[in-house]
Amino acid sequence: MTPDRPRPVLDALSRAYWEAAGRGELAIQRCEECGHYQHPPRPLCERCTSSDLAYPAVSGRGVVHSFTTNHQRNVAGFERAVPYVNLIVELEEQAELYLLSDLPAGEADWVAIGAPVEVAFEPIEAAEGEAIALPQFRPAGG
Amino acid sequence: MWAGRGKTAVAGIGFSQLTRTHERPLGQLAIEACRAAIADAGIEPSQIDGLATHPDQPFRGAGNRAGEDLVPAAFLIDHLDIGPEVEWYAQVSAGLIPSAIIEALNALMAGACTYALVWRAMHRPAGTYGAWREPFAGGDSQFTAPYGYTSPFQLHAVAYQRYMHRYGATREEMASLVTNSRANAQLNEAAFFNGTPMSVDDYLAARMISEPICLFDCDIPVEGCAALVLTTAERARDLPRPPAYVAAWGQHTAARPTYVNYMLDDYMACGASTAGKLWSRSGLGPGDVDAAQLYDGFSPSTYYWLEAAGFCPEGEAHAFVQDGRVALGGELPVNTFGGSLSEGRLHGMGHIAEAARQVSGRAGPRQVEGAEVSIALDGSPLLRGAGLLFTREA
Repeated sequence: MTPDRPRPVLDALSRAYWEAAGRGELAIQRCEECGHYQHPPRPLCERCTSSDLAYPAVSGRGVVHSFTTNHQRNVAGFERAVPYVNLIVELEEQAELYLLSDLPAGEADWVAIGAPVEVAFEPIEAAEGEAIALPQFRPAGG
Repeated sequence: MWAGRGKTAVAGIGFSQLTRTHERPLGQLAIEACRAAIADAGIEPSQIDGLATHPDQPFRGAGNRAGEDLVPAAFLIDHLDIGPEVEWYAQVSAGLIPSAIIEALNALMAGACTYALVWRAMHRPAGTYGAWREPFAGGDSQFTAPYGYTSPFQLHAVAYQRYMHRYGATREEMASLVTNSRANAQLNEAAFFNGTPMSVDDYLAARMISEPICLFDCDIPVEGCAALVLTTAERARDLPRPPAYVAAWGQHTAARPTYVNYMLDDYMACGASTAGKLWSRSGLGPGDVDAAQLYDGFSPSTYYWLEAAGFCPEGEAHAFVQDGRVALGGELPVNTFGGSLSEGRLHGMGHIAEAARQVSGRAGPRQVEGAEVSIALDGSPLLRGAGLLFTREA
């Protein structure tokens, strides 16, 4: 059952991320001074404190760092989606650069720590109605 | 060594009744616990001239009515016979209750007050609570809520999954820790699960919450309050109860990561920095500790603290908790009062109260014989990690 997802409220820091996803691109905030990627986006570089920040496209490839199968109905809109699996994906661009993903538990036989994944985009609406997309991760080459 | 070592002490401990859900106004329970702590210290309420708490409730959508949903300092000033004013109070917004205790200890050493009352009042409304209810998600939640990922048990599940994978830990091993805490709770009349034993099979049959976290890996939410009276070592010596001297405190102060960046390696780094402060300030080490009260809001946190504080090497806590090593009478008794898992979710106050009891020889049927040094390490440890080290002698 596809969940009725809480809709993102785009703001000055996050708008570039979501609009890129709407175009089918995974764009992660990166420091132009030192090259550090950070997600969620931050007002300053968390490594060098530079305020020169951009949102370049990344490969969309990574590995499953960890995962959990949730059985609780703790999120409005997900009541009929349980059980579902949340993945923590570590992107190949940088160690400890993580994004989330989710999928029905019945489609998660392939999930294991270290499994290679690639991004896919699920169309959603932002809070104000813009058509954007939610980055999700699926088996690489699948 | 820290100049404050042995300069302050726990002089009194009080608990309210702990109930599964809200039955009486939280303010009544807080007054009950505070009066008990003051009486236990052998002083009069009018002698309390300092107050500190962390009043906030730890779940989404909590209300803010004083005396019903939470118990701020102003409520006690109005309703406990300590006023009309006190010399000093603090309400911390960061950290679990240890941060309020740290404020009170510093105030005592600065001479800002003479007897400080610290309490933690936990609300537990009836029905489901703490869920994400909004159709929109702003701030950092826009990167988590759309994936159905909003609750602390999910964060703990991914860290524990990683731990199990990296070190080959099993649920059967965790059963040893959880059932040990439940057995200890049978020696603690205040514990919510006193009178309700648990077998290894009970643990293994529990329903899953967010795999690999099962129901019995989660602490038991309760409505209730625990309170401490703190004072200077000089004053504590003249009171009727044996003091528990504070040898050191430690607090994790680095930025809190978001829910997207909340991983096992971070837990370990933050735990090691918090525990390291206790060791360097006190001049003591893990080998000196006779009893350890290690936070178990979710059971894997106890593993992380065992390793981060140096009670066993990293990756070995799952093996360390076997064979009665953490039981009463074992090498390092852990959560001798039952932990939050079996006493109830007091967000660290239960651990601190028990650590103080153990070194003052007041732990009753669960007393660790001759305990000279005891530790309480609170928080996850990444989320608001903090600790206190107590000694029998100043």
